[in-house]
Amino acid sequence: MSDPQSTPGAQGAERNVFSRRSLFRGAGAFAAGGLVADAARAAATPTSTRLAGVVELELEINGAKQKVSVEPRTTLLNALRNHCTPPLTGAKVVCDRGSCGACTVHLDGQPVYSCMTLAADAVGRKVTTVEGLAKEGELTEVQRALCEHDGSMCGFCTPGFVMSITACLERKPGATLDEIKHACAGNLCRCGTYPHVFEAALAAGRALRAKGGK
Amino acid sequence: MSLDPRTTLAQQDEPPRPAAPGKKWVKSVRVQNGIDTEVWEEVDIDSGASGPSWGARKDLRLLNHDLPRVDAPDKVTGRAVYTHDVRVPGMAFAQVLRCPHPWAKIVRIDLEPAKKLPGVLGAVVLESEEVKWVGRPVVAVAADTPEHAEDGVRAVVVEYEVQRFAITPAQSQAPDAPKIAGNRDNVRVHETEGELADAEKALAECDAVVEGTWRVPVQHHACLETHGVVVDYRGGDSATVYASTQGTFTINSDAARKLKLKGSQVVAVVEHMGGGFGGKFGMGLEGDAACKLSLELKRPVHMLFDRASEFLAAGNRAGGVHVLKAGAKKSGELHAFIANVERHGGVGGGSNQKQPYIYRPATSHTQVKSVLTNTDSSRAMRAPGHPQMSFAMEGLMDDLAYAIGMDPLEFRIRNVPDNRRTDYERQLRQCAELIGWNSHPHRTAPNRSNDELKVGIGFALSTWGGGGGPECKVEVRLLPDGSVEVLSGTQDLGTGTRTYVAAIVAEELGLELNQVTARIGRSSYGAANASGGSTTTASLAPAVKHAAWNARKALFQHVGTLLGVKPENLRIAGGRIEDSTNPESNWIGFKDACAAVGGQGISAQGEWQRELASNGVGGAQAAKVQVDTLTGEIQVLHMVGVQDCGLVMNRIATRSQLNGGMIQALSYGLFEERVVDPDLGIVLNANFEDYKIAGCKEIGLMQPVLDDGDERNGVIGMSEPAVVPGQSAIANAIMNACGARLREMPLTCDKLLMALRGAKRG
Amino acid sequence: MKSFELVQPATLEAALETLPAARDTKARDSVKLLAGGQDLLGELKEHLVAPDTLVNLKRIPGLDRIEHGADGSLTLGALVTLARIENERAIRERFTLLAEAAGAVASVQIRNQGTLGGNLCQRPRCWYYRHEQAVCIKKGGSECFAYGGLNKYNAILGGGPSYIVHPSDVAPALVALDAQAVIRGKRGERRVPLEQFFTLPSEGSVLRENVLTSEEILTHIVVPAPGAGSWRSTYLKFRERGSYDFALSAVALRLSLDAGKVREARLVLGAVAPIPWRCEKAETALVGRKLDAETCEFISRLALEGAEPLEHNGYKIPLTQGMITKALRKLAN
Ligand SMILES: Cc1cc2nc3c(=O)[nH]c(=O)nc-3n(C[C@H](O)[C@H](O)[C@H](O)COP(=O)(O)OP(=O)(O)OC[C@H]3O[C@@H](n4cnc5c(N)ncnc54)[C@H](O)[C@@H]3O)c2cc1C
Ligand code: FES
Ligand code: FES
Repeated sequence: MSDPQSTPGAQGAERNVFSRRSLFRGAGAFAAGGLVADAARAAATPTSTRLAGVVELELEINGAKQKVSVEPRTTLLNALRNHCTPPLTGAKVVCDRGSCGACTVHLDGQPVYSCMTLAADAVGRKVTTVEGLAKEGELTEVQRALCEHDGSMCGFCTPGFVMSITACLERKPGATLDEIKHACAGNLCRCGTYPHVFEAALAAGRALRAKGGK
Repeated sequence: MSLDPRTTLAQQDEPPRPAAPGKKWVKSVRVQNGIDTEVWEEVDIDSGASGPSWGARKDLRLLNHDLPRVDAPDKVTGRAVYTHDVRVPGMAFAQVLRCPHPWAKIVRIDLEPAKKLPGVLGAVVLESEEVKWVGRPVVAVAADTPEHAEDGVRAVVVEYEVQRFAITPAQSQAPDAPKIAGNRDNVRVHETEGELADAEKALAECDAVVEGTWRVPVQHHACLETHGVVVDYRGGDSATVYASTQGTFTINSDAARKLKLKGSQVVAVVEHMGGGFGGKFGMGLEGDAACKLSLELKRPVHMLFDRASEFLAAGNRAGGVHVLKAGAKKSGELHAFIANVERHGGVGGGSNQKQPYIYRPATSHTQVKSVLTNTDSSRAMRAPGHPQMSFAMEGLMDDLAYAIGMDPLEFRIRNVPDNRRTDYERQLRQCAELIGWNSHPHRTAPNRSNDELKVGIGFALSTWGGGGGPECKVEVRLLPDGSVEVLSGTQDLGTGTRTYVAAIVAEELGLELNQVTARIGRSSYGAANASGGSTTTASLAPAVKHAAWNARKALFQHVGTLLGVKPENLRIAGGRIEDSTNPESNWIGFKDACAAVGGQGISAQGEWQRELASNGVGGAQAAKVQVDTLTGEIQVLHMVGVQDCGLVMNRIATRSQLNGGMIQALSYGLFEERVVDPDLGIVLNANFEDYKIAGCKEIGLMQPVLDDGDERNGVIGMSEPAVVPGQSAIANAIMNACGARLREMPLTCDKLLMALRGAKRG
Repeated sequence: MKSFELVQPATLEAALETLPAARDTKARDSVKLLAGGQDLLGELKEHLVAPDTLVNLKRIPGLDRIEHGADGSLTLGALVTLARIENERAIRERFTLLAEAAGAVASVQIRNQGTLGGNLCQRPRCWYYRHEQAVCIKKGGSECFAYGGLNKYNAILGGGPSYIVHPSDVAPALVALDAQAVIRGKRGERRVPLEQFFTLPSEGSVLRENVLTSEEILTHIVVPAPGAGSWRSTYLKFRERGSYDFALSAVALRLSLDAGKVREARLVLGAVAPIPWRCEKAETALVGRKLDAETCEFISRLALEGAEPLEHNGYKIPLTQGMITKALRKLAN
């Protein structure tokens, strides 16, 4: 697989910079030109950062730091899929409007829609994608249970469900059927795998409890 | 005469002529335009007699059991690569510009403003003359990122000359309506069957007559993976086309034509795909766009519809209006039937919708016409026409049953075709048992009490062909290291094809499932049919079995010589091949046997075996619904589906299919509808927020039951019938719960509230 | 989404500096505030707005605080997420309907990012408004397409010249709590009762849903202490699709009871009008009544008095009446 960045074209960094600057002339202390948006640094200084054109962001994805060149408008979902090396295509683009859950990832452990998150907003936070759950190839209880209970048909919604269920059971391994439905209410499945997904989630909860969860 | 395909069967119960010597007649199913028809075929008498057989069900180790999918680990870890996920070096991202008008002539297209933008690599025109529906792609733009592609799309200038249009069937039937298909009328009468006068006369003889107008909206496939392809062409004389398709082999030659290559120079790849439901065959508009761009740019192009394009330009299930009038005798006989059916297929004719569906009136008259409108054409969608027909017919059946004071379950059993009564009755009674009908207090009339929360139960039936045909070529390879692979170009839409392909081979060779690797989804493998009409399994499984059987026979030839045993005395089990007359001492491990073959191992081919397939499926479904008469809230508490499907390949995956069918029907019944503003001509809900599909909280208790009363030992497809009756059962349950007959889908609270108010006032 | 520049101010002052003057109608839409982005990104993706600059409020310290005052009041920063409001125990116990309303918004994923301020300032969901090509009166056009169009989801109360309904779940709950909005502008701070924060299309600018100008930021919401008496409250939402959906009708009800009779009440309806719709007549009529079937019948009728349904939304009247009845019954027990 190649790095999509190797395609020539679009280095828009220079585009609008001057007009933008003049728009904000006198608008207090801006860290103009700072390309790496580093939350820690931004927090340490009372200034504002500004991102325009193509910017390099440092993201922490599945425990590893990675620099990506994106635009301010690039969503976390597109950054993962199109700008990471190797591409992280587990999260899917389905609705791109926060209404299906196929793009669900964890930000600091909480499930969010990566299509409704700017990549720049993930800076300084821990991003976990479906690729980052199984450690050393060992499936998690949630993943294992989904396999055993036939929790995916076409499987396009599956990564999103894995993320939602994982977050739910991390909080509460004893989650009831209704609580699981509630936790996954923002995930759609067109194949109609829901009943088997629920069975899997309940089974995973049992397995986690047996392992000594809450 | 009735229009149900099965009637043809009933009425042509005899073969057309006596069989020739050495031949016999068999019935087989042909699916045409999504409607299954049964035809007589003359075949050799001994065909299959010495061929492979599935064996007794009780002897099966893997098939007919719950098997974990072989690709499930890839799907739950995000490793599975779908067409959307393909990333090849130098790949450009493309998007399309859609026409915003329902009907317009294109006056001018200027691509230059787009081409000048940063990141934009190229732009091509897809349509330069005329567009007859909102959302038709007109231009495609490729860029280094999806964001830049979008910039490009928005920079393109298109000048339209907007035409007068017709969005609703009423508009298109107005006297001064614009003619949508050239000089042809917007309304086309497709067929008229039975004499109206006869039907009317029969109506007069009935003890009860009911009538109503049932309306079905346009539904979208709404696959989570949108239509799309990645065309990897970099100049030269070969290309690889990754496609989200239901037919690997519908891609390569189509793509070759568009890329000006030979069919043999293009390989189509469908590793995993995110849902099709009937809407994904061939290259489509998206494929056209990708090929044009790839040809021009000589680089790979990733062209996946965005969600709006998917809703607007990727087809739908036709809508329709079914005006029914029918009468029954007190005895429970469906005596007279008159239907006027209108199909709404946009600029196309719409899928087949006829009446009466399944049930057999003594006398009937049916007229079917289609009405064209300036909306995207319908495409095949899981059991084309059937859910629409079912919604109207099953509603009518309940209304009639109540009108004569009969249990709708008994009324159904009374009026199904004779040759299917045993099956349907068994299935209906099992549904009734599981859903609690037998102790339900309102079995012959709806509950008309003043309770606020009311529970009702409804039933409906389905029918489908699901047979297969001689369309697949399969290869099984036993490699010298004892590993086994099975190759077929077929595709797995999420039905579990990959898994049963491996399982059939493992079963035949006495191996475990994980000892066989199934390679599918590549047009360089053996030919396979497209997955339409639930024909995949019945076409593919027999060919896989045949290939595995041939591989085993070839292996036995070698082993027989090695062990000094006649091949017919060998048997295979538990990873070894043994002399059945002396199993303890004369055997060889499977791996050693493969090694002993030498050379490149064994390669065996397989083709379709009629005896291993069967056809004709039916099923019954029941729904239990709670209605809140204060708010109109409709909750589906419980659904049961009893489905026959011949010999089951993988029970858990088949239950998943049945669940999936019921849930799609629930979603269709309760929520789904394309909404188009009739004056502005724009689609108002081309997104997943406003085009609602069922989510987790809509799912009550689901009971998928594989009908083991069906003892046929052949493989049949069952995906389509699963989706047919659910919405009808739900509508019937609502009626049973509160006496409100909703004849228009989706069955939403506004309609129920207004119906209940009307009932109160009236 | 059009490309934009993302400004990430670290102070409220720096954020205010980036905002164009309210009277500068041209520049007004060139800058947008970004909170959780769950609404704004949708608007950007649909090209309903195309600002040159987004001002990210999430890095401003202090705006995400929840404070329980010694006097029993509650102060919520505009950047507090809906998930925190839903899950914080003290809110669940003392301001039940607020936690219920926050928990009724969309899905877990949206509540994890969506903020209180963003929820109150979110734009309408009317499908004409959300359709780029339909340049309706809300987007500077001359017509409300819903009025004579497909208006199943539109207003039955307070409509005209636009017939949107306010989509927020949290807003009716906060109005029922007599909450105040704290607004910072370049020239200082102002406090507005939340009820007056929202504007009818016939009163304020039809282009907006509230009193905020483009040079202001909603910084806090202050919920006063409930006051004497035993208060109970609930937020009931009717969704067409239970999993997640905007309301077809919602009821925020808060009342204090004295010996089984209502002492004081707040009844605010959601999703039936362009603003959270306070039913003052019904509130007054409730006082002194027992919460019995007769009261339910009477109050639910009174609350919907004056409703003028459009062609396709007449059902909202019985639906809302049913929801009011359910809310009253719930609080009776
Ligand atoms: C699929 C889907 C379903 C939804 N369902 C619901 C629902 O059921 N109920 C419901 O109430 N909402 C719903 N929403 C709407 C909304 O996204 C959320 O309610 C959320 O709270 C918005 O908050 P945010 O912080 O993400 O806002 P943003 O998107 O960041 O901002 C929304 C708007 O408010 C402005 N804004 C934000 N903060 C401030 C501030 N402090 N001062 C001034 N202006 C500000 C922004 O400029 C923008 O115009 C849904 C959204 C989606 C996509
Ligand atoms: S793709 Fe993000 S929610 Fe659907
Ligand atoms: S398994 Fe296909 S969408 Fe969920």
